[in-house]
Amino acid sequence: MFNSRLSSIIRKEFIQIWRDPRTLMLALLIPIMQLFLLGYAATNDVRNLPLAVFDQDRGPAARALLDAYRAADYFKIAFDVDSETDIQDLIEAGEARLGMIIPPNYSTLIQGNGKAEVIFIFDGSDPASASTALAAAQQIGWQFATKIQQQRLSQAGIPVSTDLPLEVRTQVWYNPDLVDAYFMVPAIIGMILFAITSILTATTIVRERERGTMEQLIVTPIRPWELVVGKMLPYVILAMTNTVEVLVIGSWWFHVPIRGSLTLILLLSGLFLITSLSIGLLASTIANTQQEAMLTVWMLLLPTLFLSGFFFPLEAMPLVLRWVSYVLPLRYYLVIIRSLMLKGASVLALKNEIIALTIFGIVLMTTAAVRFRKRLD
Amino acid sequence: MFNTRLTSLIRKEFIQIWRDPRTLVIALLIPVMQLFMLGYAATNDVRNLPMAVFDQDRGPQARALLDAYRASDYFLIAYDVDSEADIRQLIDDGDARVGLIIPPDYGRKLEAEDETEVIFVFDGSDATSTQTALAAAQQIGNQHSTAIQLKRLEKAGMADAIETPVEIRTQVWYNPDLEDAYFFVPGLIGQILYMITAILTASAVVRERERGTIEQLIVTPIRPWELVIGKISPYVLIALLNTLATLFVGSWWFGVPVRSGLGLLLALSGLFLLTSLGIGLLASTIANTQQEAMITVFATMLPAIMLSGYLFPVEAMPTWLRWISAAIPLTYYLRIIRALLVKGVGIASLQSEILALIGFGILLMGAASLRFRKRLD
Repeated sequence: MFNSRLSSIIRKEFIQIWRDPRTLMLALLIPIMQLFLLGYAATNDVRNLPLAVFDQDRGPAARALLDAYRAADYFKIAFDVDSETDIQDLIEAGEARLGMIIPPNYSTLIQGNGKAEVIFIFDGSDPASASTALAAAQQIGWQFATKIQQQRLSQAGIPVSTDLPLEVRTQVWYNPDLVDAYFMVPAIIGMILFAITSILTATTIVRERERGTMEQLIVTPIRPWELVVGKMLPYVILAMTNTVEVLVIGSWWFHVPIRGSLTLILLLSGLFLITSLSIGLLASTIANTQQEAMLTVWMLLLPTLFLSGFFFPLEAMPLVLRWVSYVLPLRYYLVIIRSLMLKGASVLALKNEIIALTIFGIVLMTTAAVRFRKRLD
Repeated sequence: MFNTRLTSLIRKEFIQIWRDPRTLVIALLIPVMQLFMLGYAATNDVRNLPMAVFDQDRGPQARALLDAYRASDYFLIAYDVDSEADIRQLIDDGDARVGLIIPPDYGRKLEAEDETEVIFVFDGSDATSTQTALAAAQQIGNQHSTAIQLKRLEKAGMADAIETPVEIRTQVWYNPDLEDAYFFVPGLIGQILYMITAILTASAVVRERERGTIEQLIVTPIRPWELVIGKISPYVLIALLNTLATLFVGSWWFGVPVRSGLGLLLALSGLFLLTSLGIGLLASTIANTQQEAMITVFATMLPAIMLSGYLFPVEAMPTWLRWISAAIPLTYYLRIIRALLVKGVGIASLQSEILALIGFGILLMGAASLRFRKRLD
């Protein structure tokens, strides 16, 4: 397979990559940059939300309630205000994200075995963090109320078990601390294999056409398949370097586990790479200029990132969008890489995804190769 | 200001845009496409998570518990299994995301007024959606547990002793239904204003240099500032059109409110536009080819999108990332546009953001025009 024609075109391609160090640097640096950005920034898990408290009671019972909220790290009691308008102003200015109103007779009611009511106000303009805060506020309040109730019951000498009849115990597998990086780091490998490979493959071919050097290559004895393989191989090596790069930093810096076999990870990444290479090759047969090639790939990249489960869980999407997600190869690869890294899944558990990727690979490669030959003639 | 030199330059630029309809169509389509994808896909609010139940009791009490979970739309009881190993298998394969184990003596213990527990197992590989599911499982379990306790106390004739002492009432302002679109549509406007203007400005200027036509422009009587304004203003127009289109579709289709005056909104968007034009212009003075210009803009875009609060709340980031986020103009514009659309605040609540944008605008525009003049000489 590695005859002298093929190896000389591979050498030519490497020289070209080497002569454009800026693009090479970016191709090697972008994965690391993304890894750190997404590893740290991609979380909705908001802590220490600034809370404005309008405590009209200021008695010991109200203090105990505030202590309960202070103890959880969801809220930070940042403002102690004297009116509801103050809360409104602080939330409008974005300085407080939630407000809490304790009624004037709170302590009296609690100590007199009455029922008190506390009002929480949330800034809903960021719904994701507001819903986390809402659940936390209710949960903490509920725990606090149960404690008071238990005290009351035992004070009254009521012989009812103060423990709750039913306890819900929870276990989280694969990621017990719910670290967001466990979700993002494997996905970054998929995104890089897709984005960098398809963009670089598309532009490297279109560049030859744009500069007119494609004709020079065609008149040499090189056969079409040698041309394609020779032009792609350097980018395959680059993509694999990127994969290893992300795997190493992800597990060393972000402590993301690699529970499955490394060989299997690389093998299935290679399978996915075939689909990205084919998409790049296809884009190169559609586009006439490098700018067009880039835009074409970008048009594909956008839905892929949003609909493949990269940022947002597939389960949360409406049905129509989930159907669309089935035609995105990245969707299957993300399931594979996340299962391999986090769950240590076996080939058997991933057979559907592997079959889907194989079919995509064959169909895309064939279409791309046929179109590529046609454009050469 | 609009002398003949300037108007003819603007006319030339418009003709050039018109002659490249593919780029124009993509520039106009990308915002709408993103709007629909983000509007529907960008949610972590997972519903109907497939759940595998290992019910060792199968009595009426266990059925009541399962009904409580079925009634909420968080979980979908998809599998009824006969061993813990089955749950493990289903979660490993990704077919189930949650497992519930009910002990064999569940019903007997509850009937004997004893305590019991159920175990929930979660697939933690998607940390964000697991967090939602975990909170929901506990919340529903607590409610069910309280209901059981209530019945017990009622039977003991102490119904009045068991009223919850503290009730937490919640109000969500601006976005009572916690619609995710309220968060993403304003963000999208910021992203489009930034991306489209910066990329198009940079490549429009570099294209002249690449083709050598900038020399032809320099020898005409056009002054440098006229050149800059003439080249930029068509893209300002496209960006503002995009803003209005996004705003219109966002409020008409996704029901996102526009609570403050349109005049203020457009004025502050114009202010933000100055900073993106500055970045595009700066990129054009650094880059020699269109490809370099694109890569340079993309290199600034990645952190801007990840760290500005466009996808993920800034409050959830570690401190050092929040510092970087404070150096990104988009961060301030996103706060402004979200506050204007969703909260309907006045200019007084946004002072510091507006000041920051003015500072960035002067700095970037100043630096860009200095460098631009130097490159012309």
